[in-house]
Amino acid sequence: MTDHLPDDREIDMFAADYVMGLLDPAAEAAADARLETDPVFYSAVNSWRKRLADFDMSAAPITPTAQLWQRIAQSTKADRSAAVPAGMRGAMRGATLWHNLRFWRVTGLVATAAAVIFAVLAIGAISTSKHLRRDLVALAQRKPVYVAVLVSDQTREVGAVVNAFANGRVELIPLKAIDVPPGRALQVWTLWDRIAGPKPVGLTTQSRALVLNLDELPETAADQLFEITLEPEGGAPTGRPTGPIRFKGNTAKVL
Amino acid sequence: MSMIRDSGLDDRTDLSALNVEREAQMSAALVRCAAGDRRALQMIYDSEAPRMVGVARRILFRHDLAEEAVHDAFVRIWHGARGFDPARGSALGWLYAVVRNRALSIHRNEHRYDPADHNADDVAPDHALAGLPETSALRKCLEQIERPRRDVLVLAYVYGMSHGELAGRLKVPLGTVKSWARRSLLTLRECMG
Repeated sequence: MTDHLPDDREIDMFAADYVMGLLDPAAEAAADARLETDPVFYSAVNSWRKRLADFDMSAAPITPTAQLWQRIAQSTKADRSAAVPAGMRGAMRGATLWHNLRFWRVTGLVATAAAVIFAVLAIGAISTSKHLRRDLVALAQRKPVYVAVLVSDQTREVGAVVNAFANGRVELIPLKAIDVPPGRALQVWTLWDRIAGPKPVGLTTQSRALVLNLDELPETAADQLFEITLEPEGGAPTGRPTGPIRFKGNTAKVL
Repeated sequence: MSMIRDSGLDDRTDLSALNVEREAQMSAALVRCAAGDRRALQMIYDSEAPRMVGVARRILFRHDLAEEAVHDAFVRIWHGARGFDPARGSALGWLYAVVRNRALSIHRNEHRYDPADHNADDVAPDHALAGLPETSALRKCLEQIERPRRDVLVLAYVYGMSHGELAGRLKVPLGTVKSWARRSLLTLRECMG
């Protein structure tokens, strides 16, 4: 008969069975959950993965078909931040996204992050507690390097935030529905150099999360202006903002 | 070869040295995925997809199902990258755990076992063991375990066999398989540290 193993041994064997794939579905689900909360178990699992890794590393490579990456790219396109390539404007017609359930499902995480940031802003208006802001931003787990809060000059309402990440990714997250009349579009601009003037970095016919294209511009810096203007569909014909500014704001470094 | 071994500097092989670099690259790529960088996902794909298909193919026997598993794995990697903590875990270990998890899921839940898919030659524990580098600690330690007990680990990990499937293949009772698996894992842990 097997002696009752000490607790740590028991955890280790549970981790081994988990990594081997030998647990029944219920036990596996329990292990998945435990992984999130139990550092000892996590460490045991990690050790077993490393012990057995040579099995995976020595598998004979098999070239996938060309379609595999395309399918993966497709399946991950409607990603958690609803990254939409610039130029997809006008792709959606009919009901606005703000009434579209699917949009909310896809952008659930962004919405959560946006809500948290919005809460930061709302609270920030009352007390500018930097600690609180930092904690809440960390909560949102977005960890951008710079954030710009775009505000309406007329109403002082917050319309959107721009997040700039260390890897160069810059995204715009709307916090308020903006009415876009037919034949018009919302264009996003940034001003990094007053002499060069504002550069267009995104265009959309609806208020929606956008990945901004700043590839041609220098790295986003502190106090860089971002603004959203109402322009003809297809963007400002002159390459400069022509319509009214709806929201604008400057980047600030995230603490 | 023997010079390297005799020097006692490092027990590991060139393959392992290569893996150290890959590990660092994949760890950085996963952090970038967590920040929403799609190029990082493609980087992981370019580096690992063929081996991932190879890993899934051993469990699922069919190329199309193996690609399905790798597809599902990449969707999970993209959405779950934030759950990976580079300070606490191995990136390659995490990535391949996702691939094996998806392959096992297809194997257990969706794949109706068809003998036509299953070439007896496909399941070869000795072959899988021989595929490990000679200096691999895993290989050395497995070789110290006696045959049918050792096969349990190889068949379960490499070919994704469940306790039930192992009992059927090795023609021993379920309890015996479970006890062999446990004793082999304890031996492996003892041997590898």
